[in-house]
Parts: sequence; structure tokens; C-alpha cells
Amino acid sequence: MSKRTRWLLEAKGCIDMATAKRAPTKKASKSYRTHVRVCVGTGCVSNGALDIKKALEKEVKKQKLDKKVLVVTTSCHGFCERGPMVHVQPDDIFYQKLKVKDIPHLVQEHFLNGRPVKKFMYKPPKSKEALPKMSDIEFFKHQQLIVLRNRGRIDPEQIDEYIAYDGYTALAKTLTTMKPKDVIEEIKASGLRGRGGAGFPTGMKWELCRNATGDVKYIVCNADEGDPGAFMDRSVLESDPHSVLEGMLIGAYAIGASEGFIYVRHEYPLALECINKAIRQASSYGLLGKNILDSGFSFKMHVVQGGGAFVCGEESALLGSIMGRRPEPVQRPPYPVEKGLWGKPTSINNVETWANVPPIISNGAKWFSSIGTKTSKGTKIFALVGKVKNTGLIEVPMGTTLRQIIFDIGGGIMDDKDFKAVQTGGPSGGCIPKKLLDLPVDYEQLTAAGSMMGSGGMIVMDDATCMVDVAKYFLNFLVEESCGKCMSCREGTQRMLEIVTRITEGQGREGDIELLEELAETVRDTSMCGLGQTAANPVLSTLRYFRKEYDLHIKYKRCPAKVCKSMINFYIVPERCTGCQRCVEACPVGAIVGPRSEPHNLDVTKCIRCRACYEICKFNAIEDVVVDAIRIISGVGVEEESEA
Amino acid sequence: MIQMKLNGLDVQVEEGWTVLETCRFYGIEIPTLCYKEHLSPYGACRLCTVEIGEGDSTKLVSSCTYPVSDGLVVRTHTNRVQRARKMLIELHVALCPTSKVIQDLASRMGVTQVRFEPKYEDCVLCGLCVRMCKEQMDGKAIGFVDRGRNRRITSPFDIKSEECRLCGGCIWICPACQTRCHGPNPESVLCNACLMTETTCLDVYDDMQCWMGGKGECGMCVREDTVVKE
Amino acid sequence: MPKLKVEDLAKIKEKTRKMTVLREGAGKAKVTVHMGTCGIASGAREIMSALLDEMKKKDSKDVIVTTSGCAGLCSQEPMATVELKGAAPVKYVELTPEKIREVFNKHVLGGEVVKAYALAVGSERMY
Repeated sequence: MSKRTRWLLEAKGCIDMATAKRAPTKKASKSYRTHVRVCVGTGCVSNGALDIKKALEKEVKKQKLDKKVLVVTTSCHGFCERGPMVHVQPDDIFYQKLKVKDIPHLVQEHFLNGRPVKKFMYKPPKSKEALPKMSDIEFFKHQQLIVLRNRGRIDPEQIDEYIAYDGYTALAKTLTTMKPKDVIEEIKASGLRGRGGAGFPTGMKWELCRNATGDVKYIVCNADEGDPGAFMDRSVLESDPHSVLEGMLIGAYAIGASEGFIYVRHEYPLALECINKAIRQASSYGLLGKNILDSGFSFKMHVVQGGGAFVCGEESALLGSIMGRRPEPVQRPPYPVEKGLWGKPTSINNVETWANVPPIISNGAKWFSSIGTKTSKGTKIFALVGKVKNTGLIEVPMGTTLRQIIFDIGGGIMDDKDFKAVQTGGPSGGCIPKKLLDLPVDYEQLTAAGSMMGSGGMIVMDDATCMVDVAKYFLNFLVEESCGKCMSCREGTQRMLEIVTRITEGQGREGDIELLEELAETVRDTSMCGLGQTAANPVLSTLRYFRKEYDLHIKYKRCPAKVCKSMINFYIVPERCTGCQRCVEACPVGAIVGPRSEPHNLDVTKCIRCRACYEICKFNAIEDVVVDAIRIISGVGVEEESEA
Repeated sequence: MIQMKLNGLDVQVEEGWTVLETCRFYGIEIPTLCYKEHLSPYGACRLCTVEIGEGDSTKLVSSCTYPVSDGLVVRTHTNRVQRARKMLIELHVALCPTSKVIQDLASRMGVTQVRFEPKYEDCVLCGLCVRMCKEQMDGKAIGFVDRGRNRRITSPFDIKSEECRLCGGCIWICPACQTRCHGPNPESVLCNACLMTETTCLDVYDDMQCWMGGKGECGMCVREDTVVKE
Repeated sequence: MPKLKVEDLAKIKEKTRKMTVLREGAGKAKVTVHMGTCGIASGAREIMSALLDEMKKKDSKDVIVTTSGCAGLCSQEPMATVELKGAAPVKYVELTPEKIREVFNKHVLGGEVVKAYALAVGSERMY
């Protein structure tokens, strides 16, 4: 367990954390007049907080204030964008974005002369207009919350609060007025489809499971959520675990299952804690166990923790993991609804799917199927992340366009850059380009565009993203996470990664793309499970829409997004360089030389393309230029010449 | 008895059979590597891939693990299947060129190029040794460990196994150990010395006259670019 | 806790709403600190500590402090929602321990919304 996780879990209550941190200051406060608290959260440390602390201590000592002013460190304040920051108590003054060179002035003015330095202080943005309403805020107003209905309004650790908002009334309605067949018909009529990615009709799955031979049946909740950038299931389990429990109870009643398993990935300690607590509370109320609500229906719930493998999100591997076997997918048919856990009929559904069930039972299938498109009913939760202004979790009706999601809800691209692509569906999905922004979010439409709905991860990319690099990232992920059983998946993804890596390193060859496509076809066709079958999607979708970028990389050794290190060089523009030496200090390999006040020089042979100089230069004097395009004399024209 | 269609023929099979067993029963040759009769099928090599279904629901599956069912439609040698098998054997050869079994499979399929850097590994992770040890010899001394790039076969915790009775079954059944390929031609990685079943004249003798008709017409020579892509 | 019967659900609902929903009886103000993993990662626990500490300092009664999971707008965490009896709830974003103290004093005790830190007023549209 990492230190951070332990810190998160051990918090017995926030007061303890506060007093625990206060302890040294309380003791010391008797002798020190001022405490200077330096934030040393990860963000601030990488911004140089430790140097700030050293500088503070040095200056304080120099000014002979070391008996009056105590410099201490604190953990993250949360306002990481403003770091490095320092909080001065008891003056309650907040200094932000400090630099080492500011410290002597700060110490002298504030601690010696008693004049706090205004220019380093934080100033909140002022607004003169009346406060906007939630229903006006773009981020919130387009959303329709079904699964996230209790968002922000209940304490997930209090079952009574869930009940206060009509929690468990759907279960009561089911157990008292509906027969199992009625429940299945209702779910079928609603059009609910699996929210894990594949979109199999949930009602049909439950019916197949119910009709399978055997008296012992199981239900499983797949909370493995391995897609990078996806955190919908985690949020539901942390914020509203009872909605999942209620959904599973209703499903178990419909199918005839007496035991259920919630498989939570190992990397979600808070979600595990929340769901375990919820189960304990539900059990003590008799909502789990024998004879629930006096109906004669009994149900036992177990929580199983994953071991840290993405492949366990695949249903047959997940079942193998629960049974204590190696989590390797197995051939289907027979499908889990016929032969699942320990050979018994098992219905596996995603967290979001289960959480949709109570509202459907409460409000009816007709209501649910009135939302969404013809083939995709209801709402979907998306984790909107990446280069978009408003990152977060959104729930929108199916059929909302990508443009609405990214530009209305998301607020557009960060730093007002240009939109390039949006990656949906995680490593099994693909990239969708600008021209398809008006695509409505819908299972079939996304698949037809070469991507897929997946679990709902939506990664927005701007024009500083290299699509070949994106393909490389996802391929690398799949190479690490493939279970390795099938030659096609294991070797196929490794070989695809080899080729794409060569392309990003400027070693692309004629015929590479054709080989990639052939390889992708084989991997897609011959792999046993969904991981392998969709492993080629990142490559195929980027090839489909960004072929030109691949060609530029291979033929001209050029990366237009200026990402691939071997194809970019940094150049100091002499007219703009003031000789301030910032970049000289920042460069970790000493590639920049030049005396003060004179334009510096960058030695490209030493440069490791870390971008430190580019980030730090205030005068836009450093440009990342694309390496000279190879000029072709006759016939084919060359793309724009390298900017220099 | 189950009724199904195999390469357009209506056939009857027992319940519980796999598609591979059915094909073999009816004399259709399907290449396999990780399949051995009397051991449970695993589906690691994917060479036994066949096409099932019709229209939109067509897909490729490994025939050694796929159970037969009423109304199943199977096609064993479509272009799509042959392309897939060729690419798979290319991957196998690139992984372990020193295995005669793999080289022979490549020759049989008429593979003329391996477009990947050979790795010269000793193990293709077919799992035959694991199943041999567990099912036939009841030793259960070795198994798969780790995943993806790091997947390998070893005894628990890499410690010499006390369960191992030194029967040698794992070595006997291993396609990489069985017979080493001692053939020439290390540059192209492919051997073709033992089973020269395909004439390669179109590759080597491009400007020589072939008396069997125009290039590619007689069907004797199979070259990558003459295979019709669907 | 005893095993529930169907009728008990409605009783619990009523009782809890009286305690947690301001307009149905409980206290005079309610502050919800959003503590999903995103909130915690950006410092929600410190916000909570600061808030509880400020409450203790000012010896305030009749203020309900509670937590909830992620509020959705993860990029502007840590967030908190302040609701005064008779007024619509206000969502504050990008909080720090200092800001939450200011919000508590000015808004919860003083009744004046701190516009500089607030995002919006009102609630989300639940189905």
C-alpha cells in the first residue's frame, strides 16, 4: 500500500488529521511569533517548494529571525495550480507562485519590516454580476442524472440518507408486487443495455440466465474498470453504493440467484471501503441476508478484491479470478449465463447497469425508453478528461452529440487550443476526429465510426497531441495487460508496438503501414477475448483518420504535433532571447550555453528534448521546430518547410 | 446427433465434439500446434482458426475449443482464414525459428516471408507441457506465470519442484524441443528445406517462362500478392 | 438495528429528511463537503478539518456538516455546497482551508454569499 493510500485510509476523521498536523506547531507556538507553512504536496514539490523552504530558512537565519519565525512544511492545500505556496500564520496570509529569488525580499519586508508583500498574495477573481444558477452552468445544465441521482446530496456512509431519497423503495415494490418474470419483462422493455462496453441487452441476459438449467445461480457486479481515464464506476461505488446493492437485489430476485459477488479492482481502496460499509449497514437492516423485507427472498453478497490486472475486466477472466484460478479468458460458448461461476448460470453486469435498475423499476420502462436514441436507451456516464476545460463526470442522455459534450459541457479545449480528436472506449476504442464531432453518442454509431462506447472514458486531445504517439501509448498498455494466452494478441500487440515505436523514433519504413494493417486484421480476427479482438482499434482508428500523420512520420520523419522526440529540435530565436539564463539553469544536461544578456545557444546533440527550457522561457524565445523535412526534388511536393 | 454445415456439406456429429474434431473426422486438414489429442484443448496458437456464422455474424474462432451446435455453419479455408493463419505462423516462426514443427507448418502453408525480427526464443507458450504434466502425467509441477510480455512457464516460485518426477513428458511433447530445425537460410528466418510443398518459381525466376500457363493462373504457386483480398 | 419491514422504509425516510433536509425541519444551515477520491486528492480532508475547526472556534450550533461523494466537476475540486434555510444551495469550487473559513464566516454565519469563490446557485436536475 502506498504512503498516500495509507494516509487516505487511516484518517479516522478529519479532526484527527488536523490535530495530528497541528501538534508540532502547538508546542512550538509558545516561542515562535510566526509560522511559515510551506506546502510540500507533490505538485508544489515538483514546482520547487523544497527550494523555497531552503531559501526561507536561509534568509530567516540571515536576518536573525530564526527564533521568532518557524518554517514548517504542510501537505497539499489543494490549490496546486498556484504553487509553490506558503501560508503565514497567524497573519493568515497566503503567498502563491513563489520563486526562490522572491524570498529575500519577502522575508525582509514581511517578517522584518512587518509589511506583507501584496504582489505575491493570492487574489481571487472578482465578479460583479449576480451569481449564476446551477441550471445556467453549461457543465451541469445539459446533464440528466439517473445513475448519479444522489450526486452531492447524500452521505454515502449513511444508509438512512439513501432511504431518505426513496432508496430501497424499488426493491420493496419488486418484492411485494412483482413476480421475477415481470421484472425481466420490465427491464427488457426499457431497452437497458450493458454499460460495460459491449452493450448486450440486459433483459435478455437476465432471461437467458433465468431459463438456464440449474437451481443455483449467481450474479456478479463487474467493478474492475481498467480503462485508463475512466472512473465512472469508482464514483458510483464511492458516492452511492446502495444504488448498486439495490439493483443487484432486484436482479437476483428476477434471475433466481441467491448469492452475488462484487468484483472491485485492487486500485480502488476508497470504493472497497464504501461498498463494504454499505453491505454491513444493509445487512444490519435485514436488506441483505435471509427473508429480506419479509418476502421470503434471501440473498448473500460478497466483495472480491482484484489483483491488479486489466484483463480481469473481461467476464470469463473475472469469473476465473473469483474462483481462484489464473485470470485467463476461456472460449465461449458456453456463455456465463449457461456455465459461469463454478459451472452455474451467472449473470455478470457492470456497476452502471446495476445502478440503472432501481429507477427503471420505480418509474417504469416507458419512462426510461423515452430517453435516448432508437437503439440506445437511457443515459450514459462519461468521464470527460484530457485537454478540456471542465474535466469531470457527466451523465447525459444517449444521443447527445460529441460536440455538445466537449464544447458545451466541457467548455471547450484548454488554453483555447484546437480540437484534434476524442478517444472513446479506452484501449478498446478509437479516436474520433473533428469532422465527426456531430456524431451522437450511441452504441452503433460509435462502433461504425471505428471506435466504441466502451465503459465511458472520453479523452479529449488538442493539436499538440501526436496521434502516432497516442497509438503507441495504448498499444503499450495492451502489451502489458494482455494475459498472453493467444499468440495473436500477445505477439501481435508486441509486434505492432515495435513497428509503431520505430515510426515514432523516425525509423519508419516503406511497407510499415501495410504490415500494421495486416497484423491488426489478424489480431482482431483470431484473438479469443475482447481485449485481443479490440487491441487493434487504437492503431486502426488513428490510421483511418490520421493517415497523413503516419505518412509524415514515415516518409518525411516529421511529427507535426511536435511530440516525438527524435523528430523535433529546439532552437533559440536570437531576436527574442534576452539572455536571462533561465533556460541555462533549467536544462538538466547543460545543453544551453551563453553569457548573460546575450542570446544563448542550444546544442542539439546534447539536448534530450525534455522541454524544460521551452516551458520556462518567458519570452517565447525557444521554439520546438520540426526537423528539416526531407526535400524531394521532383514529383511529389513537400509539406511546409521546417519553421526556423 | 447434431446437424451442421461444414464447407458447404451437411454433416452429422456427436454432441460434445469440437469443430476441430469434426473437421479431422471428415478428413479436412486444419493446421494445429498447441492441440494434442487426449489433452484438453487450449487455444493458444490460434492456428486452427476457422470461420463460422453467416452474413453479419461471421467471425473467426479457434476450432479446437469451439463446441459444435445445431445449425452451425463452418468454413475452413476462406481467404480471410488463410490470411490469418499465414500471419499467425509468421509470428510463430519469428518467435522460434529453430523449431522444425513450426517451420514445417510454415512450409505447408506456403509462407514465403517473415517480416518481423526473429527473437530466437525457446518457448512459444503453447502450454502443451503444462497440460501434459497436469493431465497425462498427473504431476502438476509446472504452470503459467505472469502475463503479457512477461508470461512464462515455470515451477511455482521458480523453485525446483518436488512434484516433478522427472518423467520428461514436457520435453517429449514440446514442439520447440522435439526436433530442432537445422536448416540453412538464417537471413530470411524461413527454412523450407524439409517440406518444399510450394514451388517458389515466381519469386526466384521472375523472367523465366512458365510452361503451365500465365503467372498465377495454374494455381500451383501461391504468392502473397496473388491472394485475392476480400 | 432491527430487520426492516416495508413500512419501515417510509418511516426512516421521514425521520432522516427531518434531520438532513433543511426545509423539512433540521438546523438552520447545512454544509456538504464533497469527498470523492477526486476531492480527497485535491485536499478535501483539509477543507473539512478547517471547517470543523472554524465551527468549534465560533461555537456554532444548528449547522449540519456532512459529506457526499464526487459532485461531478472534478477539475474544480475541492467543492462544497452551502445551504441556508429558506435559500437555494450554493456550490463553491476550488476551495482551500482559508477560503472555507471565509465562506463559513461570511455565508453560513453572516448570510452573505461569497461570490468570488462560488460557482452557481441551485441544484442539479435529477431525473
